[in-house]
Amino acid sequence: MLVARYSAVAHRTAALLGAGDEAEDVVQEAFVKAFRHLAGFRRDAAFKPWLLRIVANQTHTTTRARGRRGELTLRIGAQPELRVPDDPEGAVIATDRRARLLDAVRALPEREREAVVCRYFLQLSEAETAEVLGCPLGSVKSRTSRGLARLRKEVGRELS
Amino acid sequence: MNSPDDFEAELLALGEALDLPAPPPSDVARAVRARLEEAGPVSDAAPSHGPVSDAAPSRGPLGRGWWRPGSERRRVPRWRWITTGVAAVLVALVGLTPQGQAAVAHVLRFAGIEIHIDEPGPLPTGMPRPLPGETRVSLSKARETAGFPIMVPAELGEPRDVRVADGGRVVSLFWPGVRMDAYNGVLEVVWRKDLGEPWPEQVTVGSSPGWWITGPHGLTYIPSSGGETETVERVAGPTLIWQRSVVGYRLEGVADPARAKKIAESLR
Repeated sequence: MLVARYSAVAHRTAALLGAGDEAEDVVQEAFVKAFRHLAGFRRDAAFKPWLLRIVANQTHTTTRARGRRGELTLRIGAQPELRVPDDPEGAVIATDRRARLLDAVRALPEREREAVVCRYFLQLSEAETAEVLGCPLGSVKSRTSRGLARLRKEVGRELS
Repeated sequence: MNSPDDFEAELLALGEALDLPAPPPSDVARAVRARLEEAGPVSDAAPSHGPVSDAAPSRGPLGRGWWRPGSERRRVPRWRWITTGVAAVLVALVGLTPQGQAAVAHVLRFAGIEIHIDEPGPLPTGMPRPLPGETRVSLSKARETAGFPIMVPAELGEPRDVRVADGGRVVSLFWPGVRMDAYNGVLEVVWRKDLGEPWPEQVTVGSSPGWWITGPHGLTYIPSSGGETETVERVAGPTLIWQRSVVGYRLEGVADPARAKKIAESLR
Protein backbone atom coordinates (compact mmCIF):
# COMPACT_ATOMS: atom_id res chain seq x y z
CA MET A 1 0.00 0.00 0.00
CA LEU A 2 2.77 2.37 0.98
CA VAL A 3 4.78 1.51 -2.09
CA ALA A 4 1.81 1.89 -4.39
CA ARG A 5 0.89 5.21 -2.91
CA TYR A 6 4.27 6.85 -2.58
CA SER A 7 6.34 5.23 -5.33
CA ALA A 8 5.87 8.08 -7.81
CA VAL A 9 6.68 10.91 -5.40
CA ALA A 10 9.65 8.97 -4.01
CA HIS A 11 11.12 8.52 -7.50
CA ARG A 12 10.51 12.15 -8.25
CA THR A 13 12.26 13.22 -5.07
CA ALA A 14 15.26 10.97 -5.64
CA ALA A 15 15.64 12.16 -9.23
CA LEU A 16 15.23 15.82 -8.33
CA LEU A 17 17.72 15.62 -5.50
CA GLY A 18 20.29 14.24 -7.88
CA ALA A 19 20.15 10.45 -7.66
CA GLY A 20 20.35 10.26 -11.44
CA ASP A 21 20.44 6.75 -12.82
CA GLU A 22 20.41 5.36 -9.33
CA ALA A 23 16.99 6.77 -8.50
CA GLU A 24 15.36 3.34 -8.64
CA ASP A 25 17.96 1.82 -6.38
CA VAL A 26 17.68 4.75 -3.97
CA VAL A 27 13.91 4.45 -3.81
CA GLN A 28 13.95 0.70 -3.20
CA GLU A 29 16.51 1.07 -0.45
CA ALA A 30 14.52 3.92 1.06
CA PHE A 31 11.38 1.78 1.16
CA VAL A 32 13.32 -1.04 2.78
CA LYS A 33 14.55 1.37 5.45
CA ALA A 34 11.13 2.89 5.88
CA PHE A 35 9.61 -0.56 6.50
CA ARG A 36 12.30 -1.40 9.00
CA HIS A 37 11.79 1.86 10.81
CA LEU A 38 8.03 2.06 10.73
CA ALA A 39 8.10 1.71 14.51
CA GLY A 40 10.05 4.94 14.71
CA PHE A 41 7.40 6.79 12.80
CA ARG A 42 5.16 8.84 15.04
CA ARG A 43 1.53 8.21 14.41
CA ASP A 44 0.71 11.89 14.54
CA ALA A 45 3.35 12.86 12.00
CA ALA A 46 2.78 13.11 8.29
CA PHE A 47 4.06 10.08 6.44
CA LYS A 48 5.10 11.70 3.19
CA PRO A 49 7.82 14.07 4.50
CA TRP A 50 9.09 11.29 6.76
CA LEU A 51 9.49 8.94 3.82
CA LEU A 52 10.96 11.66 1.62
CA ARG A 53 13.52 12.45 4.31
CA ILE A 54 14.68 8.85 4.08
CA VAL A 55 14.75 9.15 0.28
CA ALA A 56 16.77 12.39 0.60
CA ASN A 57 19.22 10.77 3.02
CA GLN A 58 19.58 7.75 0.81
CA THR A 59 20.19 9.99 -2.20
CA HIS A 60 22.95 11.75 -0.29
CA THR A 61 24.50 8.46 0.79
CA THR A 62 24.46 7.17 -2.77
CA THR A 63 25.80 10.31 -4.41
CA ARG A 64 28.51 10.73 -1.74
CA ALA A 65 29.52 7.10 -2.21
CA ARG A 66 30.13 7.62 -5.87
CA GLY A 67 32.26 10.57 -4.92
CA ARG A 68 30.58 13.33 -6.78
CA ARG A 69 27.97 15.88 -6.28
CA GLY A 70 24.48 14.81 -7.12
CA GLU A 71 23.84 15.95 -10.63
CA LEU A 72 20.47 16.95 -11.85
CA THR A 73 20.03 14.81 -14.91
CA LEU A 74 16.69 16.09 -15.91
CA ARG A 75 15.00 16.77 -19.12
CA ILE A 76 11.90 18.66 -19.84
CA GLY A 77 9.18 16.35 -20.95
CA ALA A 78 6.39 16.83 -23.41
CA GLN A 79 4.84 20.19 -22.81
CA PRO A 80 1.39 20.10 -24.29
CA GLU A 81 0.47 23.36 -22.58
CA LEU A 82 3.17 25.13 -24.53
CA ARG A 83 1.86 24.13 -27.92
CA VAL A 84 0.13 27.23 -29.10
CA PRO A 85 -0.67 26.69 -32.77
CA ASP A 86 -1.32 30.35 -33.40
CA ASP A 87 1.96 31.45 -31.91
CA PRO A 88 4.77 29.03 -32.77
CA GLU A 89 7.39 31.70 -32.18
CA GLY A 90 6.07 32.44 -28.70
CA ALA A 91 6.08 28.71 -27.91
CA VAL A 92 9.71 28.40 -28.95
CA ILE A 93 10.67 31.33 -26.73
CA ALA A 94 8.77 29.85 -23.80
CA THR A 95 10.47 26.47 -24.30
CA ASP A 96 13.84 28.13 -24.51
CA ARG A 97 13.18 30.11 -21.35
CA ARG A 98 12.24 26.95 -19.54
CA ALA A 99 15.44 25.24 -20.61
CA ARG A 100 17.45 28.22 -19.36
CA LEU A 101 15.59 28.25 -16.09
CA LEU A 102 16.27 24.55 -15.62
CA ASP A 103 19.96 25.11 -16.35
CA ALA A 104 20.00 27.88 -13.78
CA VAL A 105 18.38 25.62 -11.17
CA ARG A 106 21.00 22.97 -11.94
CA ALA A 107 23.77 25.48 -11.41
CA LEU A 108 22.54 26.63 -7.99
CA PRO A 109 24.63 25.88 -4.92
CA GLU A 110 23.51 22.51 -3.58
CA ARG A 111 21.63 23.73 -0.50
CA GLU A 112 19.75 26.41 -2.35
CA ARG A 113 19.01 24.01 -5.16
CA GLU A 114 17.57 21.43 -2.78
CA ALA A 115 15.34 24.00 -1.12
CA VAL A 116 14.10 25.31 -4.47
CA VAL A 117 13.54 21.78 -5.77
CA CYS A 118 11.52 20.80 -2.69
CA ARG A 119 9.43 23.95 -2.65
CA TYR A 120 8.69 24.30 -6.36
CA PHE A 121 9.37 21.03 -8.14
CA LEU A 122 8.03 18.77 -5.40
CA GLN A 123 5.55 21.40 -4.22
CA LEU A 124 6.24 20.77 -0.56
CA SER A 125 5.40 23.30 2.14
CA GLU A 126 8.19 25.10 4.00
CA ALA A 127 7.64 22.86 7.02
CA GLU A 128 7.73 19.70 4.89
CA THR A 129 10.86 20.92 3.15
CA ALA A 130 12.51 21.51 6.53
CA GLU A 131 11.70 17.95 7.55
CA VAL A 132 12.82 16.40 4.28
CA LEU A 133 16.10 18.30 4.22
CA GLY A 134 16.59 18.02 7.96
CA CYS A 135 17.17 21.70 8.57
CA PRO A 136 15.40 24.44 10.52
CA LEU A 137 12.45 26.25 8.97
CA GLY A 138 14.45 29.48 8.90
CA SER A 139 17.12 27.89 6.74
CA VAL A 140 14.50 26.73 4.26
CA LYS A 141 13.18 30.26 3.98
CA SER A 142 16.61 31.85 3.55
CA ARG A 143 17.94 29.20 1.13
CA THR A 144 14.78 29.42 -0.95
CA SER A 145 14.89 33.21 -1.19
CA ARG A 146 18.63 33.23 -1.95
CA GLY A 147 18.08 30.58 -4.60
CA LEU A 148 15.15 32.48 -6.12
CA ALA A 149 17.14 35.71 -6.22
CA ARG A 150 20.00 33.93 -7.97
CA LEU A 151 17.68 32.32 -10.50
CA ARG A 152 15.96 35.58 -11.24
CA LYS A 153 19.29 37.24 -11.84
CA GLU A 154 20.62 34.43 -14.04
CA VAL A 155 17.56 34.00 -16.20
CA GLY A 156 16.90 37.73 -16.38
CA ARG A 157 20.46 38.47 -17.48
CA GLU A 158 20.47 35.84 -20.17
CA LEU A 159 17.31 37.14 -21.68
CA SER A 160 18.18 40.79 -21.68
CA MET B 1 8.33 41.76 -16.30
CA ASN B 2 8.59 39.21 -13.59
CA SER B 3 6.76 39.81 -10.40
CA PRO B 4 7.79 37.36 -7.68
CA ASP B 5 4.56 35.44 -8.18
CA ASP B 6 5.13 35.08 -11.90
CA PHE B 7 8.57 33.73 -11.35
CA GLU B 8 7.46 31.26 -8.73
CA ALA B 9 4.58 30.17 -10.97
CA GLU B 10 7.11 29.61 -13.74
CA LEU B 11 9.17 27.39 -11.48
CA LEU B 12 6.09 25.40 -10.51
CA ALA B 13 5.15 24.97 -14.17
CA LEU B 14 8.68 23.90 -14.99
CA GLY B 15 8.55 21.33 -12.22
CA GLU B 16 5.34 19.91 -13.65
CA ALA B 17 6.82 19.75 -17.13
CA LEU B 18 9.82 17.72 -16.02
CA ASP B 19 9.89 14.24 -17.37
CA LEU B 20 10.62 11.98 -14.43
CA PRO B 21 9.83 8.40 -15.31
CA ALA B 22 9.10 6.01 -12.47
CA PRO B 23 8.71 2.24 -12.79
CA PRO B 24 5.29 0.74 -12.12
CA PRO B 25 4.62 0.56 -8.36
CA SER B 26 4.09 -3.21 -8.58
CA ASP B 27 7.67 -3.62 -9.82
CA VAL B 28 8.94 -1.43 -7.01
CA ALA B 29 6.96 -3.41 -4.44
CA ARG B 30 8.38 -6.67 -5.78
CA ALA B 31 11.95 -5.35 -5.66
CA VAL B 32 11.51 -4.02 -2.13
CA ARG B 33 10.10 -7.32 -0.96
CA ALA B 34 13.03 -9.15 -2.50
CA ARG B 35 15.44 -6.87 -0.67
CA LEU B 36 13.67 -7.33 2.63
CA GLU B 37 13.71 -11.09 2.23
CA GLU B 38 17.33 -11.07 1.17
CA ALA B 39 18.33 -9.25 4.33
CA GLY B 40 16.69 -12.03 6.33
CA PRO B 41 15.47 -11.96 9.90
CA VAL B 42 18.90 -12.15 11.52
CA SER B 43 20.41 -9.18 9.79
CA ASP B 44 20.99 -6.62 12.47
CA ALA B 45 23.40 -4.24 10.86
CA ALA B 46 23.02 -0.70 12.04
CA PRO B 47 20.92 1.25 9.57
CA SER B 48 23.39 2.98 7.34
CA HIS B 49 21.39 6.09 6.71
CA GLY B 50 23.81 8.84 5.93
CA PRO B 51 22.95 11.89 7.95
CA VAL B 52 22.50 15.02 5.91
CA SER B 53 25.68 16.96 6.49
CA ASP B 54 24.00 20.05 7.82
CA ALA B 55 21.26 18.33 9.80
CA ALA B 56 21.13 17.49 13.42
CA PRO B 57 20.81 13.71 13.04
CA SER B 58 18.77 13.29 16.19
CA ARG B 59 15.97 15.34 14.70
CA GLY B 60 15.64 13.23 11.62
CA PRO B 61 13.09 10.51 11.07
CA LEU B 62 15.68 7.83 11.43
CA GLY B 63 17.16 9.32 14.52
CA ARG B 64 14.16 9.67 16.76
CA GLY B 65 15.67 7.40 19.33
CA TRP B 66 14.61 4.26 17.57
CA TRP B 67 17.10 1.47 17.65
CA ARG B 68 19.81 3.17 19.58
CA PRO B 69 22.15 0.49 20.88
CA GLY B 70 21.45 -0.06 24.52
CA SER B 71 18.02 1.49 24.48
CA GLU B 72 15.15 -0.56 25.85
CA ARG B 73 13.59 -0.93 22.48
CA ARG B 74 16.52 -3.06 21.54
CA ARG B 75 14.68 -5.88 23.24
CA VAL B 76 12.02 -5.94 20.58
CA PRO B 77 13.19 -8.57 18.11
CA ARG B 78 14.07 -6.92 14.92
CA TRP B 79 12.49 -9.60 12.77
CA ARG B 80 9.10 -8.48 13.92
CA TRP B 81 9.50 -5.14 12.21
CA ILE B 82 10.85 -6.81 9.15
CA THR B 83 7.87 -9.13 9.12
CA THR B 84 5.62 -6.09 9.33
CA GLY B 85 7.42 -4.62 6.35
CA VAL B 86 7.15 -7.77 4.33
CA ALA B 87 3.47 -8.00 5.17
CA ALA B 88 2.98 -4.42 4.06
CA VAL B 89 4.70 -5.08 0.75
CA LEU B 90 2.67 -8.25 0.30
CA VAL B 91 -0.49 -6.26 0.85
CA ALA B 92 0.68 -3.85 -1.81
CA LEU B 93 1.41 -6.70 -4.19
CA VAL B 94 -1.77 -8.58 -3.53
CA GLY B 95 -3.79 -5.47 -4.24
CA LEU B 96 -2.00 -4.82 -7.50
CA THR B 97 -2.04 -8.17 -9.23
CA PRO B 98 -5.18 -9.58 -10.84
CA GLN B 99 -4.73 -12.83 -8.95
CA GLY B 100 -4.54 -10.87 -5.74
CA GLN B 101 -7.67 -8.92 -6.43
CA ALA B 102 -9.87 -11.96 -6.30
CA ALA B 103 -8.77 -12.66 -2.75
CA VAL B 104 -9.49 -9.19 -1.41
CA ALA B 105 -12.92 -7.89 -0.53
CA HIS B 106 -13.89 -5.17 -2.94
CA VAL B 107 -16.22 -2.32 -2.43
CA LEU B 108 -17.82 -0.75 -5.44
CA ARG B 109 -19.72 2.47 -4.97
CA PHE B 110 -22.16 3.46 -7.61
CA ALA B 111 -25.30 5.57 -7.68
CA GLY B 112 -25.95 5.49 -3.96
CA ILE B 113 -25.25 1.77 -3.75
CA GLU B 114 -22.27 0.24 -2.01
CA ILE B 115 -21.56 -3.23 -3.37
CA HIS B 116 -19.36 -5.42 -1.18
CA ILE B 117 -17.85 -8.27 -3.12
CA ASP B 118 -16.31 -10.93 -0.94
CA GLU B 119 -16.49 -14.60 -0.10
CA PRO B 120 -20.21 -15.27 -0.17
CA GLY B 121 -21.57 -15.19 3.36
CA PRO B 122 -24.95 -16.44 4.50
CA LEU B 123 -27.82 -14.57 2.93
CA PRO B 124 -30.18 -12.69 5.23
CA THR B 125 -33.06 -14.79 6.51
CA GLY B 126 -36.46 -14.04 7.97
CA MET B 127 -39.47 -12.22 6.68
CA PRO B 128 -38.82 -9.21 4.49
CA ARG B 129 -39.73 -6.07 6.37
CA PRO B 130 -40.97 -2.88 4.77
CA LEU B 131 -38.65 0.11 4.44
CA PRO B 132 -38.88 2.76 7.20
CA GLY B 133 -42.13 4.71 6.98
CA GLU B 134 -43.26 2.76 3.92
CA THR B 135 -46.78 3.69 2.85
CA ARG B 136 -48.94 2.66 -0.06
CA VAL B 137 -49.93 5.60 -2.22
CA SER B 138 -51.22 6.41 -5.66
CA LEU B 139 -48.76 7.34 -8.38
CA SER B 140 -49.90 10.97 -8.36
CA LYS B 141 -49.59 11.12 -4.58
CA ALA B 142 -46.07 9.66 -4.83
CA ARG B 143 -45.17 12.35 -7.34
CA GLU B 144 -46.25 15.00 -4.80
CA THR B 145 -44.39 13.39 -1.90
CA ALA B 146 -41.09 12.44 -3.47
CA GLY B 147 -38.29 14.97 -3.68
CA PHE B 148 -37.47 13.99 -7.26
CA PRO B 149 -39.33 13.38 -10.53
CA ILE B 150 -40.83 9.92 -10.80
CA MET B 151 -40.65 8.12 -14.11
CA VAL B 152 -42.36 4.91 -15.13
CA PRO B 153 -40.88 2.36 -17.57
CA ALA B 154 -43.15 2.32 -20.60
CA GLU B 155 -42.24 -1.34 -21.16
CA LEU B 156 -44.05 -2.33 -17.97
CA GLY B 157 -46.93 0.14 -18.06
CA GLU B 158 -48.73 1.47 -15.02
CA PRO B 159 -47.43 -0.05 -11.78
CA ARG B 160 -49.82 -2.24 -9.81
CA ASP B 161 -48.63 -0.82 -6.54
CA VAL B 162 -46.71 2.31 -5.50
CA ARG B 163 -45.02 2.86 -2.16
CA VAL B 164 -43.19 5.84 -0.71
CA ALA B 165 -40.73 5.34 2.15
CA ASP B 166 -38.36 7.23 4.44
CA GLY B 167 -39.90 10.67 3.99
CA GLY B 168 -40.04 10.51 0.20
CA ARG B 169 -36.45 9.36 -0.24
CA VAL B 170 -37.43 6.07 -1.89
CA VAL B 171 -40.32 5.41 -4.24
CA SER B 172 -40.97 1.76 -5.12
CA LEU B 173 -43.06 0.70 -8.07
CA PHE B 174 -44.37 -2.86 -8.29
CA TRP B 175 -45.50 -5.11 -11.11
CA PRO B 176 -46.08 -8.84 -10.79
CA GLY B 177 -42.69 -10.27 -9.78
CA VAL B 178 -40.88 -7.04 -10.57
CA ARG B 179 -39.91 -4.18 -8.33
CA MET B 180 -38.26 -0.89 -9.23
CA ASP B 181 -36.87 1.39 -6.53
CA ALA B 182 -36.13 4.98 -7.41
CA TYR B 183 -34.27 6.92 -4.76
CA ASN B 184 -32.94 10.33 -4.13
CA GLY B 185 -29.37 10.84 -3.13
CA VAL B 186 -26.88 9.07 -5.32
CA LEU B 187 -24.00 10.67 -3.41
CA GLU B 188 -24.75 9.07 -0.08
CA VAL B 189 -25.07 5.37 0.54
CA VAL B 190 -28.72 4.36 0.31
CA TRP B 191 -28.30 0.62 -0.21
CA ARG B 192 -25.65 -1.91 0.57
CA LYS B 193 -25.37 -5.12 -1.42
CA ASP B 194 -23.29 -8.09 -0.30
CA LEU B 195 -22.35 -10.65 -2.87
CA GLY B 196 -19.72 -13.15 -3.89
CA GLU B 197 -18.82 -14.34 -7.35
CA PRO B 198 -19.70 -13.70 -10.07
CA TRP B 199 -18.74 -10.08 -10.19
CA PRO B 200 -21.33 -7.57 -11.26
CA GLU B 201 -21.25 -6.88 -14.94
CA GLN B 202 -20.88 -3.35 -16.19
CA VAL B 203 -23.58 -2.38 -18.67
CA THR B 204 -24.83 0.72 -20.40
CA VAL B 205 -28.35 1.92 -19.86
CA GLY B 206 -29.16 4.51 -22.50
CA SER B 207 -26.04 6.59 -22.29
CA SER B 208 -25.35 6.06 -18.60
CA PRO B 209 -23.31 3.34 -16.94
CA GLY B 210 -24.99 0.67 -14.88
CA TRP B 211 -24.30 -2.68 -13.21
CA TRP B 212 -25.99 -6.01 -13.61
CA ILE B 213 -25.96 -8.34 -10.61
CA THR B 214 -26.87 -11.88 -11.63
CA GLY B 215 -27.43 -13.91 -8.54
CA PRO B 216 -29.26 -13.58 -5.26
CA HIS B 217 -27.51 -11.25 -2.84
CA GLY B 218 -27.97 -9.54 0.50
CA LEU B 219 -29.59 -6.14 0.28
CA THR B 220 -29.56 -3.65 3.12
CA TYR B 221 -31.37 -0.36 3.15
CA ILE B 222 -29.43 2.37 4.98
CA PRO B 223 -31.94 4.90 6.33
CA SER B 224 -31.19 8.57 5.80
CA SER B 225 -28.81 9.85 8.43
CA GLY B 226 -30.09 11.20 11.70
CA GLY B 227 -33.03 8.82 11.95
CA GLU B 228 -33.41 6.24 14.67
CA THR B 229 -34.59 3.65 12.21
CA GLU B 230 -32.70 0.42 11.78
CA THR B 231 -31.30 -0.87 8.55
CA VAL B 232 -33.54 -3.27 6.65
CA GLU B 233 -32.03 -6.48 5.29
CA ARG B 234 -33.40 -8.97 2.83
CA VAL B 235 -32.42 -11.22 -0.03
CA ALA B 236 -32.61 -9.66 -3.45
CA GLY B 237 -32.76 -11.40 -6.82
CA PRO B 238 -31.06 -10.40 -10.07
CA THR B 239 -30.87 -6.64 -10.17
CA LEU B 240 -29.98 -3.92 -12.63
CA ILE B 241 -28.76 -0.67 -11.09
CA TRP B 242 -28.31 2.59 -12.92
CA GLN B 243 -28.52 6.30 -12.45
CA ARG B 244 -30.35 8.99 -14.33
CA SER B 245 -29.44 12.58 -13.41
CA VAL B 246 -29.51 12.63 -9.60
CA VAL B 247 -31.90 9.72 -9.20
CA GLY B 248 -30.68 6.18 -8.62
CA TYR B 249 -32.66 3.16 -9.78
CA ARG B 250 -32.65 -0.52 -9.04
CA LEU B 251 -34.77 -2.93 -11.02
CA GLU B 252 -35.21 -6.29 -9.40
CA GLY B 253 -36.92 -9.47 -10.55
CA VAL B 254 -36.17 -9.48 -14.28
CA ALA B 255 -33.84 -12.45 -14.85
CA ASP B 256 -32.77 -11.55 -18.39
CA PRO B 257 -30.27 -8.67 -18.45
CA ALA B 258 -31.23 -7.60 -21.98
CA ARG B 259 -34.87 -7.39 -20.95
CA ALA B 260 -33.96 -5.49 -17.77
CA LYS B 261 -31.95 -3.04 -19.82
CA LYS B 262 -34.83 -2.53 -22.24
CA ILE B 263 -37.17 -1.80 -19.36
CA ALA B 264 -34.66 0.61 -17.80
CA GLU B 265 -34.26 2.48 -21.06
CA SER B 266 -38.02 2.91 -21.38
CA LEU B 267 -38.34 5.28 -18.41
CA ARG B 268 -40.71 8.10 -19.29
